[in-house]
Amino acid sequence: MRRIRLAAAVTVLALLGACSSNAASSGDDAGQPVSGGSLTWAVETEPITFNPHQYSQAKARPLVWNTFEALLTHDAQGGYLPWLAASYEVSPDGKTYTFKLRTDVTFSDGTKFDAAAVKANVDQILAPGYAPAVAAVQLRNLDGVEVVDDATVAFRLKQPDVLILDFVSSPQGAQVSPKSLKEAKNLKAGGPELAGTGPFVLDRYTQGQEVHFVKNPAYDWAPSNAGHSGPAYLDEVTYRFLKESSVRVGALTSGQVQAIEGVPATDETLITANPDLSLQRGLNSGSAYAYYFNVSHAPFDDPKVRQAFREAVDVDAVLTGVYRGTATRAWSVVGPTSTFYDKTLEGTFGGDAAKANQLLDQAGWTTRDADGYRTKDGKRLTVRLVQSAPYVRDRRDVLAQAVQAAVKQSAGIDLNVALVDQGTQAKAIADNQYEVFDNSRADTDAGAALNLLLHSAGAINRTGVKDPALDELLEQGQGATDTAKRTAAYQQVQKLVVTDQALALPLYAPADQLATSSAVGGLGFEPTAGVPAGAYNVWLRR
Amino acid sequence: MRAVLRRVAAGIVVLWATATAAYLALLAAPGDMVDSIIGDGADSPQIRAQVIAEWNLDRPAIVQYLDYLWRAAHGDLGRSYLLQRPVADVIGVQIRPTLKLALAAAIFAALLAVVLAVTVRRPWARRVSSTAELVMVSTPPFLIGIVLLSVFSFRFGLFPVSGDRSVAALVLPAITLGLPIAGLLAQVLRDGLDRALDEPFAVTARARGLKDRAVLARHALRHALLPAVALAGWSFGVLIGGSVIIEQVFGRPGLGQVTLQAVTTGDMPVVIAVVVFAAAVFVVVNTVADLANLAIDPRLRRS
Repeated sequence: MRRIRLAAAVTVLALLGACSSNAASSGDDAGQPVSGGSLTWAVETEPITFNPHQYSQAKARPLVWNTFEALLTHDAQGGYLPWLAASYEVSPDGKTYTFKLRTDVTFSDGTKFDAAAVKANVDQILAPGYAPAVAAVQLRNLDGVEVVDDATVAFRLKQPDVLILDFVSSPQGAQVSPKSLKEAKNLKAGGPELAGTGPFVLDRYTQGQEVHFVKNPAYDWAPSNAGHSGPAYLDEVTYRFLKESSVRVGALTSGQVQAIEGVPATDETLITANPDLSLQRGLNSGSAYAYYFNVSHAPFDDPKVRQAFREAVDVDAVLTGVYRGTATRAWSVVGPTSTFYDKTLEGTFGGDAAKANQLLDQAGWTTRDADGYRTKDGKRLTVRLVQSAPYVRDRRDVLAQAVQAAVKQSAGIDLNVALVDQGTQAKAIADNQYEVFDNSRADTDAGAALNLLLHSAGAINRTGVKDPALDELLEQGQGATDTAKRTAAYQQVQKLVVTDQALALPLYAPADQLATSSAVGGLGFEPTAGVPAGAYNVWLRR
Repeated sequence: MRAVLRRVAAGIVVLWATATAAYLALLAAPGDMVDSIIGDGADSPQIRAQVIAEWNLDRPAIVQYLDYLWRAAHGDLGRSYLLQRPVADVIGVQIRPTLKLALAAAIFAALLAVVLAVTVRRPWARRVSSTAELVMVSTPPFLIGIVLLSVFSFRFGLFPVSGDRSVAALVLPAITLGLPIAGLLAQVLRDGLDRALDEPFAVTARARGLKDRAVLARHALRHALLPAVALAGWSFGVLIGGSVIIEQVFGRPGLGQVTLQAVTTGDMPVVIAVVVFAAAVFVVVNTVADLANLAIDPRLRRS
């Protein structure tokens, strides 16, 4: 057995911005932490479900961590720290991960947390019809979970898969009381009937209005990077769902809520101009928001046309127009805060209209129609982007219009943008009736996102790319337990995808914004994930 | 008695027809149920097979439809694909805040309209009032809501911004939703009053020495109410349609938000239940409007 010391498992120190360190939390004005009080947040997104196994929205992450906890947690350098597991070992063949569990942890319904509970959770996820996507993606290589003794549990894999660590640190890998798993009437929806081990207990949910948590007074097993130990500071915390950003900002400025999540660029000045409020921004982990090109048919089966599309967009100008200088430009499919990010890609492509036109001439799109669009054999150079309205965020519909204008003006490309319902988009994708696919994924381990998007068997491979060399690199990145080896593999993936094959046009790195009143302390972003952290370390000045 | 039974039977037919129409519309919509359930997430043959097995989606559409009707007749509306809870729970919780909002808005609109129509009689005042009513009808509720919030909630802190927690929280949303209806009602009522006051009976009443006010309140208003009551159905549509926007702006729970989410994600069981519920309310509203007309106008009772 090769014992991996958790803290030493980190070999690569990424140049992480303030966004992923706990130092970047509010509280300069809120003084020393004090216990007590009730905090009200206004958040943009109402979770579809409160069951962590069913988690699918990055915006729901802080709410999950209030009630539920995982075996490990991420540190700020891309490594793992103990949480409900005190330590873990990997077998030399990389196929067995053995976790030693804490023995002092209790679920809020009184059930003891032990190896049997961990097994019950994984078995539930593997149950037919419960969480098919998690079973098919994160647990693809899992053979089974074995209870060694009360405080030891082993995950046996069919083949080496280092992403299992990412799973046991993720909301989907969070621990729900086995009693709840057996007895909850609406298990998949979650809510007050699901007990966890977290610092808060979800006691009230009013659909369309708010969700309310109370402190768990018995809590005493926070991870070492949580900011403090023992129970949470706040007695209670309410998350109120306010979809309109201007209403959230108004609720904050008028003191009706003490914190808000989601401050669009247009409203940022309202916060920054007010001395009683503070604004923080955190870049999310995972994959950048990018346009992926469908290479399965014309015109993007021609790499020249893909490159031309990329050169036709002055991304900086487009981002400035839509986000007023608040967006962070992306240069790779991997987000800039990831350990695997390849910095050398920066500045290597894009924004050269002359080159775009030259490439299109070479590719045979030499004639133009009456509207000024390029044509070839009488057919217009039209590419379609189909966006699903329920999942559009960050004004990505407006961004699409800006890109549309840019590619038309500089290269005569007709980008056709359709904003449709979920069913229509699903149909367009099933029928292969699209040329551009837009996506960002907030996975804590960017490798997980790359597997889904770029592997030939990936569940959201919408580029149609089937490249054995690329698959091989992705499998290396997933199989190696050594971070340096993983980084090398994923940097080659980025070179291949972004530089050599021009499969994607990276646009921006998704970010979250938090604005708080000066009375709020300790509110910040989760390390690695870069999304707002839960309420455990938050206090209210009296 | 027979008339009542006829009405109930007609109501049931209307409900069945709307449920069927909603079902067919969703079947005709692009994408299938599996897509709706999978949503934005990972999608592979293995995952699809699991979803189909879980929700019995491999049966022919007609079988699923009959099964749905059979269960609906027993009061089992199925489970929401998206929210993974019984539809009855999802909707049951949301009906109260929506009805509260709609009722408050309707009462506010009716009061404001009657006050405007009856009190504003002078030509110059009528011009001012008419302009104001036109603005009320044509301003998007979204904008009215944001403006009211900015002034009364964010600036002066008189009313809370969100939720369905107190009467205070109901004031701004009800005004926002009621203003367009009040604007149109006031115009209709005023026209009706003008016509009624020109009728021979009004002249006769005045000749008997009745004051203008009394003629207005006791005789003319009755006549003016008929076209206004006919607007009940339209008002109901505005209330339901407007509630989506109002709930979004004010962060209120309610059917509007639930419906919007269900439609965009293709959450069929919820969509059908909401459509049937709306049809039921519509039937009730129109029946009440018919009865109100009978009460107001004795001439209708004889036919």
